[in-house]
Order: sequence, then C-alpha cells, then structure tokens
Amino acid sequence: MLHLPTVQFTEEQEQFRVEVRAFLQDELAKGTFTPKCDSWLSGDDPEFSRLIGQQGWIGLTWPKKYGGQERSTIDRYILTEEFLAVGAPVAAHWFADRQTGPLLLRYGSEEQREFFLPQIVKGECYFGIGLSEPNSGSDLASVTTRAEKVEGGWIVNGQKIWTSNAHLCHYMVTLVRTSPFDGKNKHAGLSQLIIDLQAQGVTIVPIKYLTGEHHYNEVFFDNVFVPDNMVVGEIGNGWAQGLAELAFERSGPERILSTFPLIDELIQELKRQNNSQGLTQASKIVARLWSLRNLSIGVAQLLESGNSEDVSIPAALVKALGTKFEQSIPEITRLIIQTYPSLDADRKIDRFMAQSILHAPGFTIRGGTSEVLYGVVAKGVVAQ
Amino acid sequence: MSEMKDMITEVVERMLKENVDKDLVDTVEQGDWAPALWELFEENGMTVVAVTEENGGAGGDIEDLLNIVRLTGKYAAPIPFIETTFANYLLEYLNLQILEGLATYRLSTNQVFTLENGTLTGEAHHIPWARHVKHLVTLAYSSEGTHLVEIDLSQADIKQGTNLAGEPRDTVTFQHALVSQTSSVLSPDEIHKLTTLCTAFQLALMTGAIDKINDLTIQFTKEREQFGRPIHRFQLVQQHIVHLAGETALALAAFNNVTEALLTNNENSEVAYARIRFEEIIQAVTTISHQVHAAIGTTHEHSLHQFTRRLWAWRDEGVNSSYWTNIVALQLMENSEDSLWAYLTTSNSSSPLLKVEG
Repeated sequence: MLHLPTVQFTEEQEQFRVEVRAFLQDELAKGTFTPKCDSWLSGDDPEFSRLIGQQGWIGLTWPKKYGGQERSTIDRYILTEEFLAVGAPVAAHWFADRQTGPLLLRYGSEEQREFFLPQIVKGECYFGIGLSEPNSGSDLASVTTRAEKVEGGWIVNGQKIWTSNAHLCHYMVTLVRTSPFDGKNKHAGLSQLIIDLQAQGVTIVPIKYLTGEHHYNEVFFDNVFVPDNMVVGEIGNGWAQGLAELAFERSGPERILSTFPLIDELIQELKRQNNSQGLTQASKIVARLWSLRNLSIGVAQLLESGNSEDVSIPAALVKALGTKFEQSIPEITRLIIQTYPSLDADRKIDRFMAQSILHAPGFTIRGGTSEVLYGVVAKGVVAQ
Repeated sequence: MSEMKDMITEVVERMLKENVDKDLVDTVEQGDWAPALWELFEENGMTVVAVTEENGGAGGDIEDLLNIVRLTGKYAAPIPFIETTFANYLLEYLNLQILEGLATYRLSTNQVFTLENGTLTGEAHHIPWARHVKHLVTLAYSSEGTHLVEIDLSQADIKQGTNLAGEPRDTVTFQHALVSQTSSVLSPDEIHKLTTLCTAFQLALMTGAIDKINDLTIQFTKEREQFGRPIHRFQLVQQHIVHLAGETALALAAFNNVTEALLTNNENSEVAYARIRFEEIIQAVTTISHQVHAAIGTTHEHSLHQFTRRLWAWRDEGVNSSYWTNIVALQLMENSEDSLWAYLTTSNSSSPLLKVEG
C-alpha cells in the first residue's frame, strides 16, 4: 500500500503539457486572468471556464458522446497541474469537472449524463457539493437534511453549510437522509439528490471568508421538490457512492500546488536578487514538492488502472501530507525573504504571501480534516 | 524496467530472510565477519548484477542492482555489498578493469591521497570494510589533476575503526604503494557524476532501512498492549503511524523515481531532491520509531537500533545533503526557464551517464 507506481510521461503527454502551457501563457499575456494562490477555490471566473471549455479541457477523460475527450487520468493530471501552477481561475467549474462528472458517469442515469455532462463540458454548468451541515462536519454520517417521498419525487428540508461557490452554481449534489437515522447502521438510508439551486424553497446565504471574500455559503431547503429523475444512483446507497468520489477529490495536484505561485515567485525573486543562500534554503521546498508529486502522480496512476479500492488510503495520505506542505510555504518563505503581505499589494510576492497565509488554514480542513484522514490512513496501514 | 527485477528481488529477499538475523548482525558489529553470507551472494551471481556480460557480469541493469542494495539495507546485511558493487560500477563506468573479490571505495574530494609515478601516498579515515576487503577504488590527486585509481589494500597500513552502527570504518595509510589501475584525469563534471551515482546507491541502502523501521514499528503497535488495548488504537499513536507511513511512502517513491531517472539518464536533479528529502525522512523515521517502541526500543536486545543506528551513520557518509542543496541552488540560479514550474517539468537530460546496460 505504501508502494506506489512511478510514472514516466510519454512524448504525447509532454506535448499536451506544452500545448496547455502555451495557451495559458497567451491568455496571461492578454490579461485574461490574474494569477492567484488557491485559485481552485477563490478564482471563480465563468468567462474563463467557458474559454477552457471551448478548448475541450473540461471533462477531459469523459466519453466523447457526452462531449469529453476520452483522455487518460494522467492527461487530466497534467492539465490540472498547469492550471494550478500558473494560478488560473478554475474555481467555477472545478467541482463539476472533478467530482460530479465522474459521479454521474459511475452512478448516474443515462438521462442525467446526457443532460448534465455536455453543459459541464462547455464550462456553463457548475455544481456545488452538499455534504457538511452545521452539526455534521467530520462526522458526515450524522447529516439530518431529509427527503420524504411524494408523488413523482422527493420533498427536501434541511440545511447545508460551507458549500464552496454555491452562489455561482446551478446545481448541488446533496447528501440527504431518505430513511430515519439508525444508530446501529448510521451509513444506511443516505442518498444523493441533484438539487436545482434556482428551485423554489432554496435559499443561499453567504458566509464571508476571513478575508471578507465570498466563497462559502449556507444553503437552506424549505420544502424543495426534487423530481425522481434527479436521484443519483440508488436510494440508500449515498454513503458508498460518496466514498467513491473521495479518491478523486483527495489526491490531486490541488493538494500540493495551491501555494505554488508563491513558491515560483520566491525562486524568481531570489534569482533577481542573486541570492544563492536563499536559493539553498528554498531547494528544500523544491525537494519536498518533488517527493510529494511522485506520490500524488502514483495515486493518479492507480486511478487510471481502475483499482479504486486500493486508492482510498494512499489518496488520504497524499491529502494529509500535501496540504501540510502547502500550508508551510508562506511560513518558510517569510524567513527566506522579506515580504510585506497584503492582498492589494503591487508586488506579486506580497500578494501571493497574503493569499497563502489567509487561505492556508482551510487547506487541512476542507475535503476531510487532517485528523479524520489520519484515522483513515492509520487504520489502513495497521490492517495490512 | 528489467523483467528480472521481480525475480531477483524475490530471490535476494528470501536469501536475506533465511540467513540474516539479529545475532549475525550483532556478531559482525562486534568485529567478526560473515564470509558464508558473502559466498551465498557470490554463488547466486548477485555481486555481478549490472556488470556487463563481456566483463563477467550477470546481466541486469542498475535498477536491479539498486534494488538488491535496498534489500541489503532492509536486512542490515553485514557484508560489503554496496562497497564491492559500487566499486565495480565505478570502474566499469570509467572503462577500467572489473575486480575479482571484495572491494571498497572512497569518493571524498578531500585530497588526502597523492598519486606520483604510479604510487599512492596518504592517509584516509572511515574507509568501509577495509580490513576485510582486497581492493580500494578511490580518488587520488596527481600534478595533472584528479584520477580514480584502484589499489591493492594488502599494501596498506590499516587501523580499525567503526561507525555509529558498528560497521567497519577503517583508517588506511599508503606509503608509495603501487596502484593497479588509474583513470585519465577527471573533470569536475565527471566527479560530480560519480558523486551522483554514489548517492543513488546510498539512497537505495537507506530506503531499505527506512522500510524495515516502518514494518517493525507498525507491527509493534499491533502487538503491544497498554490500558487493555493495542497501542495502534490510540489516536496519538495513530498520528505517529501516519507520519511514519507517510515518510516511508515518500522514501519509496523517491527511490523508485531515482532508479527510473537513472535508467533514462535524467537523474540530474532527482538524486539531489531525494537526498535532500531523505535528511528530513531519516530524522522523522528514527525519532518516531523510537518514540513508539518506547523503552524496549532503546535496548540492545531489540533489533530496532540495528536500523536506526545505521541511518544515523549512513546519512553522514559520502556527501551529505548540504552538497545537494548547493547543487540545486546553483541549478536554479543558472536555469534559463522563466518559471520554476517549467524548470521542474521540462525533462532535463544530462550528459550520457550509464554505459553499463544489461
């Protein structure tokens, strides 16, 4: 389980990387976007999402009949790396591309796939992930939002919280209770529903992030009607379906590269200053990044070979290690180089520092807190 | 990847499992010697893996050899395996004659050995296994520059010493002793290349020990009970387990990526990154494993120290990570890519390195 495969990129894959990079450099030069740290959460730009949709770069691995490109997980890995390394604003379509698409391909109905996937691929349809509730953070099985069966569908009542970018999203895949909580089998009776966020009875209330920015939301459901054809997979199978998503969510480059624009700017700044002592210190960051990337690509390779059962533990490990690394970057940077972190600074490094410091606390919380991941990994390692 | 790899590692692992135990390692640490184990490796052709067949080798490539080295680290095999095989690897790399029998090497650039009229003079410390082996392959300095020479150790005055793990590290003195083979003058780039290869071999050895320490520690958390339950059930112990497993997974992945890079001659930065990272890994792994094992792990009776002491010794042998942080800093300073990302992801082919192919 601790032995992950290595990956040597093929010539075609290297070529793809060059192609993506050239596109992003062009757009950067045109001023289409401003690079940011943590751009997969805070860089929401529907225009940009449409633009990369036109490139065919959303749903890259999906079947062609839904508008995908049928390319490999490794190609998608490369694409994602390039977006994050340059701090491109990919947040709007992020969750639909990363999670909802694969979920629907695995568990969705043909009707759902035909309806949603082509819109997602165009960069015009965004999904939120409705998991956490006010009294149910890490203990996800304790969710209380409930759906009751009525003629032709379900009536949903309850509340979700911390939903990233729900205010921009069209739909939310929502984990709900479809039968009463059973203390002996708390994972039973959960289901996933696609809820139209424009539907009657849905209220979205912003929760400002500590920077004052609007990423998170509370989403309230007051007698919201969800038609039967918006149930994902099977009623009662929501827990297992949700778990399957996690390997995709946990081990990607976004668990290592959220603060990469800062690392890059640090190196450039040290080069400009001809500061070889600083570069010597910074080389340790580069070595850590390299070693984590090996692990993360190894998990992508396992996902590519379709063995997702083996993947969940190393994926959790990558998230735990990677987010700790991302979080450490501003702390190390400020001891190598003098910065004056400020979100509206003119100097890039000061801006990236501000973004990194202020976003860092979230890295080890969202998508599974490190503490929960430690439990998953420790149990997995001991069970070997 | 060599198809032989799986077969070779299976054979070697079985050999080591059956023939190396704590007592044997103890005995050798106390100054004895394990000729039977060496003979076993020799009989199975493991000492000439990655040596070309025209030089009497057994075939296989550097990945195969490094995986055997890794296993000798995993079992703390008390024989000069890395020393002999790397000495031969150096010789073959520089088109010199392969040796018969046991050998050792010294790649330090401290200029202690002078080469004059085909004879070697000088004193060097910390030469692995010198008392037990026949040949020394070392850098030596003539008026023309730096050479790699091979010399018969029977001409040396040898003063015995040990490292932290009780492995033989002897002081070797030559007085106008005749060298057997001499390379042409080596450029600084070539010496760096040899250092890179040497570090890759050491990484293999360390990876084995790290892997073993992880195994021992996880096993211990299952067997040891406190407060009525096995200690892996305690969340604070679980934190240690995750940290240890994480560093072990990183070490294994780093090692595998280094061997792949060597196969494709792209090892330029990989060895540097891995060696820098291993500094942190070794510190974490040794500290955590001892903390989890608690008092029993600090006793001579337990085998944990045979691996932790080796890591503490090995990390200071050869060039340590400060050499490599300087190299990376230099590479970063000199590279013309306009972003770190481009630099990291552009395959940086180095000069052809491996002439030895199975």
